[in-house]
Amino acid sequence: MLPEVGYSWGDVGSGLDKAMLALIGVLFALGLVSVYSAGISARTSTVAYVVRQSVWAGVSAVAYVAILRVGYRNFIRLSYWLYGATVLILVALDAMGAASKGAVRWFQIGPLSFQPAELGKVALILVLSRFCSRYPPDNLKNLFGALAISGVSVVLVLLQPDLGSSLVYVAIIFAILAVAGAPVKYLGSMVMTGIVAMPFFWKTLKTYQQMRLIVFLDPYRDPQGAGYNVIQSRIAVGSGGLWGKGFLQGTQGRLHFLPEPHTDFIFSVFAEEFGFVGGVAVVALFALLFWRMLRGAFRTKDTRAKLLCIGVVAWMWFQVMESIAMSMGLAPITGLPLPLFSYGGSSLLMVGVALALVQSVSISYVKEKFPQM
Amino acid sequence: MYKSLDHFDANQRLIYVRNVFIFSMLFLIIGMAYFQLIKGDEYVNLASENRLRMVRLLPPRGNIYDSSGVPLAVNVRTFDIKAYPMDLRTDGDFTRVSGLFARHGIPMTSSDLKEGVDRQYVAPYRAVSVATNLTLAQVSDLVMDPEFSQVLFPSPVWRRIYPSGPQVAHVIGYVGGITRDELEDQRDLYYQAGDTIGKNGIESMYEEELRGVTGEQVVEVDSRGRLLRNMNYNDPQKGNDIRLTINLAAQREALRLMEGKRGAMVAMDVEDGSVRVFLSSPTYDPNPLTWGISTKAWSALLEDEDNPMMNRVTGGVYPPGSTFKVVTAAGILMENVANTKTIVSCPGYFRLGPQNFRCWRRSGHGNEEIVGALRDSCDVYFYQMSVKLGIDKLIKWGREFGIGEPTGIDIPGELGGNLAGREWKQDRLGEAWYQGDTVNYAIGQGYLLMTPMQLARVYAAFANGGRLVSPRFNADKAPEWRDVKLSKANMDIIRRGIRDVVARGTGRVAGSFGFDVAGKTGTAQNSQGEDHALFVGYAPANAPKYVAAVIIEGGGSGSSVAGPLVGQMLAYLLERERGR
Repeated sequence: MLPEVGYSWGDVGSGLDKAMLALIGVLFALGLVSVYSAGISARTSTVAYVVRQSVWAGVSAVAYVAILRVGYRNFIRLSYWLYGATVLILVALDAMGAASKGAVRWFQIGPLSFQPAELGKVALILVLSRFCSRYPPDNLKNLFGALAISGVSVVLVLLQPDLGSSLVYVAIIFAILAVAGAPVKYLGSMVMTGIVAMPFFWKTLKTYQQMRLIVFLDPYRDPQGAGYNVIQSRIAVGSGGLWGKGFLQGTQGRLHFLPEPHTDFIFSVFAEEFGFVGGVAVVALFALLFWRMLRGAFRTKDTRAKLLCIGVVAWMWFQVMESIAMSMGLAPITGLPLPLFSYGGSSLLMVGVALALVQSVSISYVKEKFPQM
Repeated sequence: MYKSLDHFDANQRLIYVRNVFIFSMLFLIIGMAYFQLIKGDEYVNLASENRLRMVRLLPPRGNIYDSSGVPLAVNVRTFDIKAYPMDLRTDGDFTRVSGLFARHGIPMTSSDLKEGVDRQYVAPYRAVSVATNLTLAQVSDLVMDPEFSQVLFPSPVWRRIYPSGPQVAHVIGYVGGITRDELEDQRDLYYQAGDTIGKNGIESMYEEELRGVTGEQVVEVDSRGRLLRNMNYNDPQKGNDIRLTINLAAQREALRLMEGKRGAMVAMDVEDGSVRVFLSSPTYDPNPLTWGISTKAWSALLEDEDNPMMNRVTGGVYPPGSTFKVVTAAGILMENVANTKTIVSCPGYFRLGPQNFRCWRRSGHGNEEIVGALRDSCDVYFYQMSVKLGIDKLIKWGREFGIGEPTGIDIPGELGGNLAGREWKQDRLGEAWYQGDTVNYAIGQGYLLMTPMQLARVYAAFANGGRLVSPRFNADKAPEWRDVKLSKANMDIIRRGIRDVVARGTGRVAGSFGFDVAGKTGTAQNSQGEDHALFVGYAPANAPKYVAAVIIEGGGSGSSVAGPLVGQMLAYLLERERGR
């Protein structure tokens, strides 16, 4: 399979959406500040997280640039292979989990750990973008085709068990189907089916997963146990007030009220120190980023690119909503990272890859609209 | 081109989905407004009222014992009084706390207090020490004060004590406050600023075994500092004790023998490398270093001309002088340059081209074969043979005996000495190796440098039949050695030679303490002053148990100064053994 012609440095330079890149940079920088703050606790004070996160950012930046040169079309071309490979990795991971009788969510390669569920998000978006533009889900046959393809990875991730990631997959699938033209009655039926299936779904959850959902509804039901994190995270965010307590002045994260302050509860650390003003700024920056990410989707003629962009936005949007709402106890605890913020290599790298694919759409539009010699 | 969805407008759907996404984010802002603005004050109170305080409980370090169970390093409990900077903000806070201490007979001004807190400050929630090294009586008195519990809390601290003071300082080392560099170097995140860590010797080498496991107490207190509940408690676990091979009684004997002298004495078991005596003289008291020494006392210690902090046994390098002749002899015999029948005539000097190398005995030794040459320490014999042997083969045998490499003893800071050789000289001095260099080298002068520990190890190999053992302090560490490729016959020749040194040669005085000693004298030229006196030997000569090496800096002749010290040390060790 010959690759389609990629993009030269000139193409990349002239087509680059610099505003989008700037938003990414600012959000990552704010995230790094929070990771630093989270690393300084009453027990340890370490810059190790910041250092590792920066190294991963460097790796992600290299991947970002490489993807811009290759162009999103080559990735869509390879999407069936990529998706197939990802499914195999997820199967292997589930097998390992079954063997070790516990949740296995990542591979350990030397000092690096890698979460295939993150890779799966990119592969899923690519494969669905291709399939749904070729076979629009405007009839049941195509709709079930798309659901069958994507359902495989949802089930595999659910089996890990990684409830949070599987919900991200669902958000991605739903958004792509909607933009690809699934009739409203189909979409509505899917939502209804989901609601009806909930009691059955509930029974398949592990006890700790059920507990997380219960304490979300009523944290004071188990204030010393599962509800504790919800209460303490809410105190962290709430006590930030209008302006926050100031950088490194937060007490909730550092006194070990917050579990995983540098990953799951990174926003709580941020909101405690930078308050309402900081929190609104972050939400607004994400909104602007999503807006900007969809600009290319509106302009391009390539339906695959439109679907690709909305898929990536759906992914990030869901995680932003979940992670921030969770920090206030407005959503159950799932352990999803806040994109660009949370400490974690494979999450950051895959977010970088996805954002590069979206950027590539913008570059391809500029190149085709204003071709140079 | 790509198939377009012409039956509906994809961009219209995009707008819908985008708007759902973007507007749904208002939900997050509403949530934040509710919790941070409307309920903000309530949560600020909750955050400050539900204060968790993490108290790290430091474990006592493992004790260190000598070979007969005498404690060499132990811990005593003292108390620090700690507080959180977030509770000490206003001048009023400082005045109140210093007043509290003053009421209980602990002098402290509020400005001293403020200075101390500022110096230790990392973050408002990181506890700082406001008073250190208090006794249990002082602390219980303080705790009774109703004002005490509001901001202060006692923290038990283990203080390291070295009951034998300076006697085994170079072996045990000491502990001290962790430095910033050490903190950053630690990968396991065990330490915090203010922790103690082994700085030298056994304390540093076995830090991970000795340090134990920290415990943690998480307490929740209300805004007035009253304990609400203990949330979590993990006991600290004491570090592992370490039993050493060193013997304090023998070490005291060594101290007595080395009194007023500058140098080193080491004695070890020839079979398994157990170090019984390890003395670098003069020595120092590690106790003040552990408790916090004044800058003045510290610089006095560092600037002391006799350099008491220096570990001369493994960190001091000296020309081995004639004690090296056993290695030269091994090379000569093994490379078939000479055998027992090879005779060299010693007129008191050796002429090499225009250069004249003197024998220590100006009048000469007459005809010498190898056993006699060792016995009489005849330089000319070794001059002549080394020229035949050549430096490369001589170096090869030096390497075989572990010269130029650390012995592998289990304390840090060991030096490997200098094996030198052609390449070394070319690299270091940019000069070719001359035959004259070889001649000097053969009698342990010139570029060759060894530690007293290395010397003892070489002689131990002769004593135990050819095993180059690694000296060890930790009695639980398995003995390690490697074989020296020296034939039995040739080894016996050399053993006979060094036995004769004491029986009827240059080292007679070493054998006058009741045991047959085999060994060798040495005098190392010292460009800075009086020559260093050396003696290395083992005993009993026919069934060796212990080897001992002594160097006296500026001691002059090895035979008269160092020989008797080795003789007495070996006799002490053997008598002690016989007594048991």
